[in-house]
Amino acid sequence: MNELRRAWLITLKDLRLEFRTGGRLLSMIAFVVLAGFLFAFALDQTAVAGRDVAAALTWLVILFASTAGAGRIFDPEEEEGAFRHLLLTPVSRPAIFLGKTAANLAVIWLVTALTFLSLTAFLDVRDQGSPAAHAAVLLPGTIGLAATGTFFGRMSRHSSLGDTLLPVLTFPLLVPVIFFGATSTARVFLERPWPEISGSVRLLWAFAVGSVFIGAALFRHVSDE
Amino acid sequence: MTLEGQRLVCTYGPTRALDGVDLVAGGGEIVAVVGPNGAGKTTLLRALSGERRPDRGEVLLDGSPVSGADPGWRGRVGLVSHRTGLYRKLTVAENLTFFASVHAVPEPRSAVARALDTIGAAALADTRVEALSRGQSQRVALARTLLHDPDILFLDEPFTGLDPSAAAALESTLRARRAAGSIIVLVTHDLRRCQGLADRVVVLQRGHKVHDGETGAADAVDLLRFFSPTPADPS
Amino acid sequence: MSTRGRITGLALVTTGVATILLVHWMVAFWVPNEASQGVVQRIFYIHVPAAWTTFLAVGIVAVASAVYLWLEDERADAAAVAAAEGALVFGAIMLITGPLWARVAWNTYWQWDPRLTLTLILWFTYLGYFLVRGSVVDPRRGKRFAAVVAVVGSLNIPLIHVSVEWFRSIHPEPTVLKPDGPTLPSDMLATLLTSLAGFTLLFLGLFTFRYAVERLRRRRPAVVSGETDEALT
Repeated sequence: MNELRRAWLITLKDLRLEFRTGGRLLSMIAFVVLAGFLFAFALDQTAVAGRDVAAALTWLVILFASTAGAGRIFDPEEEEGAFRHLLLTPVSRPAIFLGKTAANLAVIWLVTALTFLSLTAFLDVRDQGSPAAHAAVLLPGTIGLAATGTFFGRMSRHSSLGDTLLPVLTFPLLVPVIFFGATSTARVFLERPWPEISGSVRLLWAFAVGSVFIGAALFRHVSDE
Repeated sequence: MTLEGQRLVCTYGPTRALDGVDLVAGGGEIVAVVGPNGAGKTTLLRALSGERRPDRGEVLLDGSPVSGADPGWRGRVGLVSHRTGLYRKLTVAENLTFFASVHAVPEPRSAVARALDTIGAAALADTRVEALSRGQSQRVALARTLLHDPDILFLDEPFTGLDPSAAAALESTLRARRAAGSIIVLVTHDLRRCQGLADRVVVLQRGHKVHDGETGAADAVDLLRFFSPTPADPS
Repeated sequence: MSTRGRITGLALVTTGVATILLVHWMVAFWVPNEASQGVVQRIFYIHVPAAWTTFLAVGIVAVASAVYLWLEDERADAAAVAAAEGALVFGAIMLITGPLWARVAWNTYWQWDPRLTLTLILWFTYLGYFLVRGSVVDPRRGKRFAAVVAVVGSLNIPLIHVSVEWFRSIHPEPTVLKPDGPTLPSDMLATLLTSLAGFTLLFLGLFTFRYAVERLRRRRPAVVSGETDEALT
């Protein structure tokens, strides 16, 4: 319990920093809105209906935005070397990972909501399907993205390749998330019955739970010296 | 209480930053580790604090091995480095409260208030760290380090960039901690500072210990000779 | 390199290369044409053993990396690197021969088939493995990160497999390892098994050499000091 409380303290601290700094959040928001805008321009909407591609584009935009953001998760920790001191407190490594993942997740949710709004608006998707069903698909998917991003975001800090390394490491891992996420979201847009979707959602949950547990278990290997 | 590093070896790939260094630091003693740049001072400090597991050798506290993986050990250790280790966008009070809570200090808020009083910075509580001067933020960093009342202190070039009054405050805190029986290991390239403060000086050169003894006037000349072949550190 | 390691490596590589030469002779002059696909099917005798060797190597990397994370034993890391290079090389052979064969057999270079997709993703994971290793300033950390990438990549295999299974597979079903015995004609089977042996021997030989070199490289006398401390931490 104590460790969960510490994780929560880290989440609160991260979110406070996130909203006070604003840079990372703002650039992610600008990215998703502009991406929706550009997609609307790039697509010939007389040939392709916005609703047919909205699911795929939603997931790709969230993936790109969260990957770009992941490279910056540890910036406030490194500005004045705070992470070294955090590691020297009794807090466990899984708690640090969980706390930072939760904060990252909150940011990704904000970005996801905006992505959804901007894509459906710019691509003129009228019948959007049930919001609850969309949330049920996006929730496990974004947990997987947040955990993977936090984990490899720490790793890329130590690489001379920096953020360019992140996609190489995370994209192959995230293939299942994008696949199950995009197919499920597409079916929600088409208002297919839930049993046609629930199988994919279960696999998204499998990835979400797996990435959180594996990330927590292995985090000490990427955090400590 | 005795902290002991035994035959510590730390390598960075082909580079051996520490090549079998022994060090003993007793309670109520300030041990200064000095040496030119790249001598392995910081690496030694990281090995002793448990931040970096040595490739070979052991760190013992009163004869039993300690490890950075042990939360109990981390709860007893305090670190001051030339970087403040604070979150720039948080206020002084938020920074201290966060670290106090993570350390599970009972009643973190009142502990923070006491700590701020001690360093005479109660007025700065709601100021963001980014708005503080170097001396002020280093004082806050010191207050953060002492929040959980550690009995083993590691200081990594703590005097870098401090104005005289902040440096004097740091020195008096260290003396008080020494009187209270803490183990204090101080890494610095500022030999003059050690003369008045440290009880013992350990000199590192190229990953080896080349001198270990009580500080005294006679040693100073010898010690300075160690530094003369190497150009002075520009920072 | 120890004499024993050198002799073992040399023996394995020599027999491996000799066997593969024999396989090329068998493929070119001995084995009959497959009825439906004709001459192009002969690439099968290279493609399948390359795939088998890749997965053997991937398995070694995964196990060795997990052991390294657990025990931080340098030998485990050396084994992981040696096998990972094998995985990258034999994986490239598989990924090149596959589309060449597919172009004729399936009339397309690339098909979103489970095994194809999985191997491509794995290949990129191993690219990441070497990028991480090479780009992290502190080598010890680089080894640990690479091991993490290998372990996480392997744990993800089942999910990737399930996700790509959702596309209808046109990849041939296994023809050798089946419960009711191989369905391949005996001369084709002989060629395939010879090739499997040759590739495996070659890989194990290269692995032995590479492992020994890696061990030697780490044993060379250390450079004492330099610009360490802050630069590396």
